Amino acid sequence: MNSRLSMETGQKSERSLCKGCDDQYDVQISEAKLARLVELASRSRPVVADAEYERRLSSCYSCPALQYGSTCRYCGCLVQVRAKLLDSTCPFPYNSRWI
Amino acid sequence: MVNVTLKADSNQGLINRNIYGHFSEHLGRCIYEGIWVGEDSPIPNTEGIRNDVLTALQKLNIPVLRWPGGCFADEYHWKDGVGPLSERARMINTNWGGVEENNHFGTHEFLRLCELLGTEPYISGNVGSGTVQEMQQWVEYMTFDGESPMANWRKSNGREKPWKLTYFGVGNENWGCGGNMRAEYYADEYRRYATYVRNYSDNQIYKIACGPNEDNYHWTEVLMREAHQHMSGLSLHYYTLPTGVWQDKGEATGFNESDWFQTLKRTLHMEELIVKHSEIMDKYDPECKVGLIIDEWGTWYNVEPGTNPGFLYQQNTMRDALVAGINLNLFNKYNKRVQMANLAQIVNVLQALVLTEGEKMILTPTYHVFDMYQVHMDAERLELDYESPGYTFGEDTIPQLSLSASRDQEGVIHVTACNLSHTDELEVVCQLQATDSSVASGRILHHGEIGAFNTFEQPENVTPSEWKGVTLENGQLRFVLPPASVGVIAIKA
Ligand code: SF4
Repeated sequence: MNSRLSMETGQKSERSLCKGCDDQYDVQISEAKLARLVELASRSRPVVADAEYERRLSSCYSCPALQYGSTCRYCGCLVQVRAKLLDSTCPFPYNSRWI
Repeated sequence: MVNVTLKADSNQGLINRNIYGHFSEHLGRCIYEGIWVGEDSPIPNTEGIRNDVLTALQKLNIPVLRWPGGCFADEYHWKDGVGPLSERARMINTNWGGVEENNHFGTHEFLRLCELLGTEPYISGNVGSGTVQEMQQWVEYMTFDGESPMANWRKSNGREKPWKLTYFGVGNENWGCGGNMRAEYYADEYRRYATYVRNYSDNQIYKIACGPNEDNYHWTEVLMREAHQHMSGLSLHYYTLPTGVWQDKGEATGFNESDWFQTLKRTLHMEELIVKHSEIMDKYDPECKVGLIIDEWGTWYNVEPGTNPGFLYQQNTMRDALVAGINLNLFNKYNKRVQMANLAQIVNVLQALVLTEGEKMILTPTYHVFDMYQVHMDAERLELDYESPGYTFGEDTIPQLSLSASRDQEGVIHVTACNLSHTDELEVVCQLQATDSSVASGRILHHGEIGAFNTFEQPENVTPSEWKGVTLENGQLRFVLPPASVGVIAIKA
């Protein structure tokens, strides 16, 4: 699959960026973008207190399932967003690491 | 009300079972976590493949599964993915945002998955960054029954007998991520690479050339003109985006009625693409020897909020059920030319059949549609005459009804039906010609909310149920489709 349209014929008037040059599919998320996403999620849903947020995140930071410093391999979530939301759970198989 | 005539003696040819095929790319959590957890995972698995996903997919009788990509295919070097796991090369999957690839799921694991699913493998080879020799050796490794360097290597990796491999793609999206080639250049490259994709022993390969993206008719013209004698199939890729804009595709959930309508309207565009590409193919191949292979289709939305954008994880609602039902009815309708289709993608990516989270798994509305529609696989298509009422939203009108009918090998007639309208039910009166079948029963997928979906907390929110009110009397089948629903009816003697 590919998000980009043909580079070949020039027939397209509506041409998207190619994936290689398009950071929308990058798995590495900048800190600024992460902060923005956490802020966005916090606006519409109940969040946990800061101490609980830090506690959850510290479990994530020592978890073998954490990828790219931001992403839980078991749910694909950005842990900074997931940990912030009150009703979130840790998806570590059979054994939540947040409890 | 709409009147339909179903001609039970109108044999319109076989609906190739491969129309109900799927696609699994090394992307996000499709392969890793979605299918492959490894033998040492606490999640119950068979040789590393998770059991819950396996059981769910086995029920669908998936006919064919495409792998390893996608864009990933044109960067995939198969030799990195065979041999002891601990010795396999680690690489970066640059197409999908720099994801780490440890190559634990390789040729042996994929072909074992296909064995466990009872499905035919469809492997995409690397034209973009690979070599002719690499592709030639891969086919030799998998299919050569005798003494050769590649066959011996396969044996030393634990597989004595060759696998049977029918479907092989010579590149993927070579107009884009597969090398940014011009059609004229790729046509020549296709001819060269395809030459060395050999039939070893009694294995016969069905070679699939990279075809057009959406409405790139120039690509189809050039490929058919220059290479149709060398191919069995030509691929077509078309995704449904609610907005039609790649930078902001629209949301998978929480959409409004306008998004619903626009999404279904864009899905119906598939018919124009099939018809127009087929017209070009007819010019060079009037006998329909070359199959149109729609090996990437489905919905593509913005990722679920709070998930990694490189993983392409999205939810799947009643709207996706309609997208699946409409497309499958279209593929059935054009069964003469359309010989295979592969929904993107099977687990956790885009319009998936199942979603996983840790040890949990849920079935999506799309899964249920594939379950209901599997009755059409290898069945004879039957002609349906009807004029659909219009479904109007704002200034636009599209057909409200989408239908398919076929007769299976036991003589049972099946009708699949979609009501596209988000507000109006639709009564259908169907005259059955040339059959004395007298018993009809059905199942329906429907929910009061068009945006309904299943979650890990509520996995059965959207599930099919018995379709009450389907009647058959004096050769007249009657049923009422609720708004935004997909149904299947079995008609027996
Ligand atoms: S499994 Fe739990 S602790 Fe580990 S990264 Fe995911 S959410 Fe965090």
